[in-house]
Amino acid sequence: MAADRLQVDTIVIGGGIAGMQAALDLADQGYRVALVEKNPSVGGKMIGLSKVFPTLDCCSCITTPKMAAVAYHDNIDLLTYSEVQSVSRNEQGFVVQVLKKPRYVIDDACTGCRSCELVCPLDLPDDANEFGRTAHRVIYVPFTTAVPQKALIDIDQCVFCGKCLQACPSDAIDFSQLPAFLEIQARSIILATGYQVTRYDAKKQYGAGKLRNVIDGLMMERLLAPTGPYGRVLRPSDGKQPASIAYVQCAGSRDETLGVPYCSRVCCMYAIKQAMLLSGMLPLADITIYYMDIRTFGKGYEQFYRSAQAMGITFVKGKVARITEDADQNPTVRVELIDDHSQVVERKHDLVVLSVGMLPGGDPQALYGVPTSEDGFVRIPNYNVAPATTTQEGVFATGTAIGPMDIVDSIVTASAAAAEVSAYLQSHYAAGSLTDAERSLIHA
Amino acid sequence: MPDPTAESQTAAAGKINASSPAGAPRIGVYVCECGGNIGETVRCEQVANALGKLANVTIARHYQFMCSDPGQKLITDDITEKGVNRVVVGACSLFLHEQTFRKTVERAGLNPYLYYHIGLREQDSWVHHECPADATAKAIRMMSAGIAKARLMQPLAPVHLDADQRVLVIGGGVAGLRAALSIARRGLPVTLIEKSHFLGGHVAQWEHLFPTDEDAAALLEGLIEEVIAESKITIYTGAEVVSTKGYVGNFDIRIRVQPRGVAKDFAAVDQAIAACPVQVPDEFNFGLTQRKAIYQPYVGCYPASPVIDREHCTRCNECLRVGQNGGIRLDEPPVEIDLKVGAVVVATGFRPYEPFAGEMGYGEFPEVITLPQLERLLATNDRLEWNARPVRRLAMIHCVGSRQIEGMHAPQPDGKVNDYCSRVCCTATLSAANRIHTRFPNVTIYDVYQDIRTYGRGHEDYYVRACKNGVTFLRHLPEEIPEVIRSEKGAEYPLLVKVKDRLTWGEEIELPVDLVVLSVGIMPSPISDLVDMLKIAPGNDRFLLEVHPKLRPVETAVAGVVLAGTAQGPMTVQESCAAAEAAATKVAVLLSRGKVELEPYVAQVDPERCQGVGECVCVCPQEGAIHLETRIENGKMLRRAVVTAANCNGCGVCVSVCPSRAIDVQGWRLDGFEAMVEAITAETPALEGVA
Ligand SMILES: Cc1cc2nc3c(=O)[nH]c(=O)nc-3n(C[C@H](O)[C@H](O)[C@H](O)COP(=O)(O)OP(=O)(O)OC[C@H]3O[C@@H](n4cnc5c(N)ncnc54)[C@H](O)[C@@H]3O)c2cc1C
Ligand SMILES: Cc1cc2nc3c(=O)[nH]c(=O)nc-3n(C[C@H](O)[C@H](O)[C@H](O)COP(=O)(O)OP(=O)(O)OC[C@H]3O[C@@H](n4cnc5c(N)ncnc54)[C@H](O)[C@@H]3O)c2cc1C
Ligand code: SF4
Repeated sequence: MAADRLQVDTIVIGGGIAGMQAALDLADQGYRVALVEKNPSVGGKMIGLSKVFPTLDCCSCITTPKMAAVAYHDNIDLLTYSEVQSVSRNEQGFVVQVLKKPRYVIDDACTGCRSCELVCPLDLPDDANEFGRTAHRVIYVPFTTAVPQKALIDIDQCVFCGKCLQACPSDAIDFSQLPAFLEIQARSIILATGYQVTRYDAKKQYGAGKLRNVIDGLMMERLLAPTGPYGRVLRPSDGKQPASIAYVQCAGSRDETLGVPYCSRVCCMYAIKQAMLLSGMLPLADITIYYMDIRTFGKGYEQFYRSAQAMGITFVKGKVARITEDADQNPTVRVELIDDHSQVVERKHDLVVLSVGMLPGGDPQALYGVPTSEDGFVRIPNYNVAPATTTQEGVFATGTAIGPMDIVDSIVTASAAAAEVSAYLQSHYAAGSLTDAERSLIHA
Repeated sequence: MPDPTAESQTAAAGKINASSPAGAPRIGVYVCECGGNIGETVRCEQVANALGKLANVTIARHYQFMCSDPGQKLITDDITEKGVNRVVVGACSLFLHEQTFRKTVERAGLNPYLYYHIGLREQDSWVHHECPADATAKAIRMMSAGIAKARLMQPLAPVHLDADQRVLVIGGGVAGLRAALSIARRGLPVTLIEKSHFLGGHVAQWEHLFPTDEDAAALLEGLIEEVIAESKITIYTGAEVVSTKGYVGNFDIRIRVQPRGVAKDFAAVDQAIAACPVQVPDEFNFGLTQRKAIYQPYVGCYPASPVIDREHCTRCNECLRVGQNGGIRLDEPPVEIDLKVGAVVVATGFRPYEPFAGEMGYGEFPEVITLPQLERLLATNDRLEWNARPVRRLAMIHCVGSRQIEGMHAPQPDGKVNDYCSRVCCTATLSAANRIHTRFPNVTIYDVYQDIRTYGRGHEDYYVRACKNGVTFLRHLPEEIPEVIRSEKGAEYPLLVKVKDRLTWGEEIELPVDLVVLSVGIMPSPISDLVDMLKIAPGNDRFLLEVHPKLRPVETAVAGVVLAGTAQGPMTVQESCAAAEAAATKVAVLLSRGKVELEPYVAQVDPERCQGVGECVCVCPQEGAIHLETRIENGKMLRRAVVTAANCNGCGVCVSVCPSRAIDVQGWRLDGFEAMVEAITAETPALEGVA
């Protein structure tokens, strides 16, 4: 694993699907790659999803092999639970200082057997993965399919009872662990810092997060996932199986008042997907999607929309003006039915899902000097022809860091970034800034 | 950590690396729940328990996600700790995860071909989800067949071959240009062929590109300049593929290059064009104007020298009479060139949907044109006029030839309707509307749509601007198709568009207009010959099909043939370029080492059994895959069949005709099949108590 200094061709920031794909594409060509992920596991948002459109593959089937591949690839140094502290330029490209946060568990020793979890006496809500709907111990492996399968300790919550110390068969626990620093000399940088969802409590008209049976798309993904908290779909307030579920589209996108005027591109499709999965799991439930425009633009997506209609999912053109709740906490949606003489009606549902949109996952300006566009995503000066090249020489960006997009497009743009980076690297090696021995590595 | 590449390279040298299984088979059996995809139907625990009782099964497990790291670790641990030397996985499809599990067993030091995959998802749980008990019984039978095969499996080594590093890029639109550039910059030589006589594809025909509003000509010029400057790229225009042979790393491709008929340095271009008496509709302006038989499509095109359109040239020799002698040759024959390439990028692009006669008045009323035609109209005129009359009101109708509904729309000649969204037309329409508004602020614009799909980065802005620019939007339901009819005689506007507008309570609205613009969709270029030659496949929507949209989004089922741009489906320029660069990356991964790896599933002759009859040679469909050799052994002349692994595709036809059962396909030997059939049909004790 990583030494204190590392020399690589590329450092990829962000271990979501885009970052992993870019890293694998370069490593498969013989380039050396460091992949830096701030969370304890790679996988990004995708590993938390249920099944994924348009093929309805189980998302783990697509993600987990790539997670394993980045962990085992000879040309990739995987640095999880790590963050970039500073970046500077030198003759050979960039000097990147990376902080490895202490897990309080020795990486090389931990086998992921989870014996520690069995004895740890304290439970914490799993906010990172399950929106607090389940719990994990103070010492825990982030989730079943996490890579690496290594435990970590939430040291702020630990009472140092020492039970895990005794239980660990590999003597992997080390309460005195300190942050480690690593200096990476990199020829180029790829930003794959992904996205966040727009806040589901941002809109006063939609209850500002106070209505218990109004959730967002990502929360619904967890309810639908086979690895999810309940193994079935239950509504938050009373654990009842919802018989009537509504989707409110563009809840957080195409909305100037929220500062998100753009379309988030994935929400139509994920709402339709979730509706289809729901009607499989709850065959008797009524599912309604309130929308402004259905944007099923991708390959096979329009057909996906048609199938959903054929399955009996109701699509209603109308912008939801307000959501309130009744005494039983049933959310009530006030909507103008545009296709039905624009009458304004109130409709009661058991559960409402806000189809929240996408915001950039980070601001690359401070560390990398990379400006963003008005929409907050990384600015790509030659957007049409060189979709991964930023304004800073040697710095590239991909996946949802350059704008909302789905998994297919994230993977394609990641491979595109790999092409731009490899061309950039070749131009340097051709210019003789590498020794012959180093260059021969590339063509090995 | 073992280095997988190093390992397979030693294997190539003829030595099988790592753990040729010593002694009896010790089989590890793994049943994957695939989240719930399998586990919700097949009782995986029961399957594992049943299989655990079979002979040679050392361990049988079930797990939620075998492909995840913890799942893979179960396998590697069993190999290193329990001495498992054969692995059978029952999971999703082979296509998805064969490579994953091969790498897993290899990491633990086992030969990757000592693993066998059973497709429990596609072949069992998905098709029998109504009957879990039967599905469980079937899983047991399928898996016991796999186990029966595994008992007989032997280590194999992939075939390693030198690969040609040259790449053929077919199509010189933005996608082909971008792919060529990226591949060349990666260090691989490229041949780029373009069927027409000019580079650039459709982008050459547009004025300004969304979402950047940049000048399309400037974008193209920049890209073409970079391509020309790249010494590793050879370009042929007027060129098409005529035949293909071979396989990844070793394709033999013949192309035919049509002569331009005009020398590069021919100076009297304008005079020659003026002299030509032929007039044909100019496809560059989508038939809005006429061109000569000797022509240049537009100013600034590349190559700049004009070309002679052989189909329409009457050989009247008028052009020969002007300017220099010898600059023009009317009867030069085409040239054929043989290329050896390692991979092929298909970037043949799209064609706009052509409405049929009478569809929304197209072809019936001259005032109905398509969006591509409008683009050319705007590009070539200072005023917005049609039939010499100013356009005061204009209606743009979306989704013509897209999002069609069976039974409601007329099908294409192949019997299918275009049920997909063409993705670019919404923003392209609004972009045109905004440009019209800026240049001709007095023109009234109606936009007739179902859904506005301004999905991409910066696209929504065009919608917002169009609203601010006063474009009037009318929304109809898919099944309430708008109509275009002739106005009554003497009416102020020649056409009426009838829309049942859902934004105004479903009222039937009539829009009197001067011009109707149909936002036509995108269809793939007609390339059925090429598709056949390359043995790739179009999907149901006729666009070329990728292996898997997420796992291998730009690769086809034929190794070494990849897709770039709109040949695969509707895309914007940015998306076409991204796909082209992704294609370049896949090609680089394949070829940058100068070697390719092929599956070892090739025919193998047992020289002891072979009688030299030669039936196999007669039936083999692959050139050079099997031949007879004569040698002298102990004073006797022997004839024996010999396989050339590189040319064999493992189809097994030879196996079926050999009278002495001397041939087998490695990895798929007959004894393996027999054992599998026996296991499937046996009264398996493992099935007790299941169904
Ligand atoms: C509710 C919902 C459902 C969806 N369903 C589907 C679907 O069915 N099909 C589909 O195709 N798409 C779907 N999507 C879209 C899909 O989630 C995204 O396209 C995809 O996950 C984007 O991957 P990414 O790698 O670009 O970003 P992310 O998944 O966000 O990954 C970014 C990674 O970078 C890390 N990171 C961020 N900043 C730093 C930093 N400074 N240092 C180190 N690491 C950092 C993050 O921790 C994260 O791991 C859905 C989206 C939502 C919201
Ligand atoms: C009206 C309209 C407006 C548009 N406006 C925009 C816009 O503003 N912004 C934007 O991003 N996108 C726009 N687009 C989309 C854009 O045109 C495409 O994304 C782009 O042209 C795709 O490039 P391509 O290389 O895939 O295909 P093409 O441009 O079609 O190029 C394919 C090339 O391959 C050649 N070819 C075909 N068959 C063969 C063969 N058998 N052998 C050799 N060569 C062959 C063709 O001659 C052609 O040169 C618009 C599309 C339309 C219809
Ligand atoms: S992009 Fe718009 S006009 Fe084109 S097919 Fe899709 S919805 Fe219709």
